[in-house]
Amino acid sequence: MELTVNGVRHDVFSPPLTTLLNVLREELLVTSPKAGCEQGGCGACTVHVDGRPRRACLVPLAAVEGAEITTVEGLSDGDDLSVVQAAFHEHYAAQCGFCTSGFVMAAEALVAGGEAGRDEIIEALSGHVCRCTGYAKIIDAVGAASRGEVSGAEDPAAPDRLSPADEPVKVKGSPA
Amino acid sequence: MGGSPFGAAEVVVAASPQEAIDAFGDGDGVTVLAGGTIVVPDVTYGRLDARKVVLIGRAGLSGVRSEGGRTVIGAGTTLAELEDAVEPLGTCARRVADPEIREQATLGGNLCAPPGAESPRGDLQAGLLVLDAQVRSAGAGGERTESVEDVLASPGGRLVLDVSVAEPEAAATATVRRPHAHAYTVMRVCAARVAGEVRVAVSGAGPRAVRLRAVEAAVAGGADAESAAGHALEDVTPQDDALASGWYRGKVLPVLVRDALTKIG
Amino acid sequence: MKAIGARLPRYDGVAHVSGRTQYVDDVRVPGTLWVKALRSPHHSALIRSLDTSKAEGMTGVHAIVTHKDVPHNVYGHLEALGVPADEPLLAQDDVRWKGQVIAAVAATSPEAAQAAVDAIKVSFEERTPVLDIRTAADPGADTFHQWGALYPHFGPYNHRRVRKGDVEAAFEEADHIVEGAYRPQAIEHVPLETQVSLVVPEASGRLTIYSCTQAMYFSMGVVAAHLKWPLNKLKFVGGTVGGGFGGKVDTATETICALLAIKAKRPVKWRFTREEEFLCSSTRAPWHVEIRDAVTDDGWIRGRRMLTLHDAGAYARFSPYGLTKHAFHHTGAYTIPNLRFDGFVVFTNRVPTTAMRGFGVTSVSLATELHLSRVAKVIGMDPFELRLKNANRIGDTTGNRVVMHDPSTVPVTLAAAEAAGIELAADYRAMTSDRRTGDLLPEHLVGQQAPDGEHLATFRGTDANGGAS
Repeated sequence: MELTVNGVRHDVFSPPLTTLLNVLREELLVTSPKAGCEQGGCGACTVHVDGRPRRACLVPLAAVEGAEITTVEGLSDGDDLSVVQAAFHEHYAAQCGFCTSGFVMAAEALVAGGEAGRDEIIEALSGHVCRCTGYAKIIDAVGAASRGEVSGAEDPAAPDRLSPADEPVKVKGSPA
Repeated sequence: MGGSPFGAAEVVVAASPQEAIDAFGDGDGVTVLAGGTIVVPDVTYGRLDARKVVLIGRAGLSGVRSEGGRTVIGAGTTLAELEDAVEPLGTCARRVADPEIREQATLGGNLCAPPGAESPRGDLQAGLLVLDAQVRSAGAGGERTESVEDVLASPGGRLVLDVSVAEPEAAATATVRRPHAHAYTVMRVCAARVAGEVRVAVSGAGPRAVRLRAVEAAVAGGADAESAAGHALEDVTPQDDALASGWYRGKVLPVLVRDALTKIG
Repeated sequence: MKAIGARLPRYDGVAHVSGRTQYVDDVRVPGTLWVKALRSPHHSALIRSLDTSKAEGMTGVHAIVTHKDVPHNVYGHLEALGVPADEPLLAQDDVRWKGQVIAAVAATSPEAAQAAVDAIKVSFEERTPVLDIRTAADPGADTFHQWGALYPHFGPYNHRRVRKGDVEAAFEEADHIVEGAYRPQAIEHVPLETQVSLVVPEASGRLTIYSCTQAMYFSMGVVAAHLKWPLNKLKFVGGTVGGGFGGKVDTATETICALLAIKAKRPVKWRFTREEEFLCSSTRAPWHVEIRDAVTDDGWIRGRRMLTLHDAGAYARFSPYGLTKHAFHHTGAYTIPNLRFDGFVVFTNRVPTTAMRGFGVTSVSLATELHLSRVAKVIGMDPFELRLKNANRIGDTTGNRVVMHDPSTVPVTLAAAEAAGIELAADYRAMTSDRRTGDLLPEHLVGQQAPDGEHLATFRGTDANGGAS
């Protein structure tokens, strides 16, 4: 069976009802989509099938023969991050990072439609679970990405990006 | 190969409605896979031993069209495509899971959903019941069209091809609040007036959606919303599940019925 | 020093957003076998027979392990801290919680492993399960644990004690006695990454263990103890944990994978399904807390009696440690001079409980803060003012005689009131953490103050269990 993943055409040998998640992770060694629950409940496995976000753990291989699959690995161009990826990085929207691939793929599909408000972002991402961040920074990142408000795809870890913070907040009455 | 429990199953990817019908045959030992949101996890977790699987996602069974004053919806139509469908079906579709699931889950799968082990499934069934849905299906004995009530009463053994629904004069829903996308809807009452007649149905009170005929009879006999709602428990005995007790559902159902009836006036 | 105060990017941020971060399940080693476990279907039962012979011969099965394969089966994770061992790696004579592992299979696919698990013959004699911590220690109650209903190794006691001052006198002199009971429930961590480890036998005879543990050296010690191997034969590879929150200190899969890898002479991986994670992995413990405070009309909390029951589940694991931390914090951020605290670790036929963010202390914070709000309501005092009055100050001592030299209760409470838009009376707004004097030093607090200038935290005259000196 033929499957195109991140622009590379593959002959796939997994049985036809293998989930797309397991085809990607076990046969094609594309490991960014994660096995968080294998029942469509967490969103950690979301990839694009012909440009639309889908739970890879719910998609049987036979249903996507010949389709174009995109995962997080296919978003960046060399070291340049996509706008969504850069926004997630700049807004600290990932802590342990396990849910991040799924969130990024869902956000990519949303942001392709232009500026998105908070309610729209929450609705679009509502199937994704994050246990670390409390979601606020993820929503901020996606909003910023939808408005194109990221500083670009340069490496954010470069030393000249460090700058002293403002005066740290002092709690009144605390010892010196 | 890790994680592939489907090794032994025969798989047919139907490329047309006729191919789907032929592959389904009389349905014996056949699992129909449309969106996969229910079937695939069941096989992943070993709850379903699939012997022959017919995939209908590319079989030309999707789409919404008008025909003779009714709306005809292909069995493979996704819930996402039904979010703006005729009410109350649109509300039922919009409140299932999240956008990614809704782009995969189908009307046919929802109609044919086996009862959930711990939470209600088949949210669209109540909407179909109040819209006088007629279900066209293939299987043993050939093609036939029957009411959705008959399908729900003896489910299984048929390949649903499409469902047609009436255009209501008024429609309303009343739902136990669903706190977030990961929650299943505990219970919803749908009401619609079709050709002058008020129909009322509930999903989440039993293994499948049920028409509340005693309520309908009371309304037809001139009862107001409050008194008609008093008949809510004559056609269904709500059960316990992981989300809510039968006791709770029994307390809330008459309130939902009253609210839905009040809304359609 | 340009990093201090600077907004630094996460060193792993680019890897996270580009899918490059490697978690245990992303590691690929050719020939890896998959693990499935035979788990107890009963809450509490004797194992009458166990027969893996049919499973051994099944297609794709490389190894099966039971308690017979474990060189040192009963090892306590906190033996080094004085908590004796009680929990077998693989069940031997009985099962004490639904989901407890009896045997494990390594096979070429998860399906082959599960089919082999299903072919293992095991028979049980069911026992009545113990599920309610409030009645578990009643006279004549069923017990299943070799130590009885309660963990008995808090020194000579079967409970963690804190004693200070004269709590009976405090109650006699109180204007109000305020009682409350609080029952925080079990919480499942739900990390996005389920429990997982991959064990690879090396040509040198060592094992490389890719682990999701939060505590690598700790888990290394656990595996070495069960295998009776020297530490230098193990190489643990940690890295990015896909969420732990305290639930990945239990070394849940590593040792069993190691045994299977040794037996199969193949790499072995065990990844919990989400259902296993919910049903069988450890949770934060449920607690039952009863508080009785002796309170004056003007809002001094003169004494506190507290009873805590901690639900350990079927084995002690880390529970004595969690209860000890709970005990140390049972006065909250407040100074109460007369104390009687008794905390019990109770065994039930539930999944053994473990740490979760603030182990032992979240329960006591919840209970004590709810209780203070109740006290404020009973005596008709503003809840902020009640807290500020009783707040820890420099020189106050805790229940176990730790001297406060830099408590933050007062400034934090004031900041909270301000953030909430609460207007406090001027004398409360002016409060600081400075040593108590004047009105803030009533007679009943004089005896608990450390002498001025003594700023080092000290234990003074306490025994190992915080008992009275």
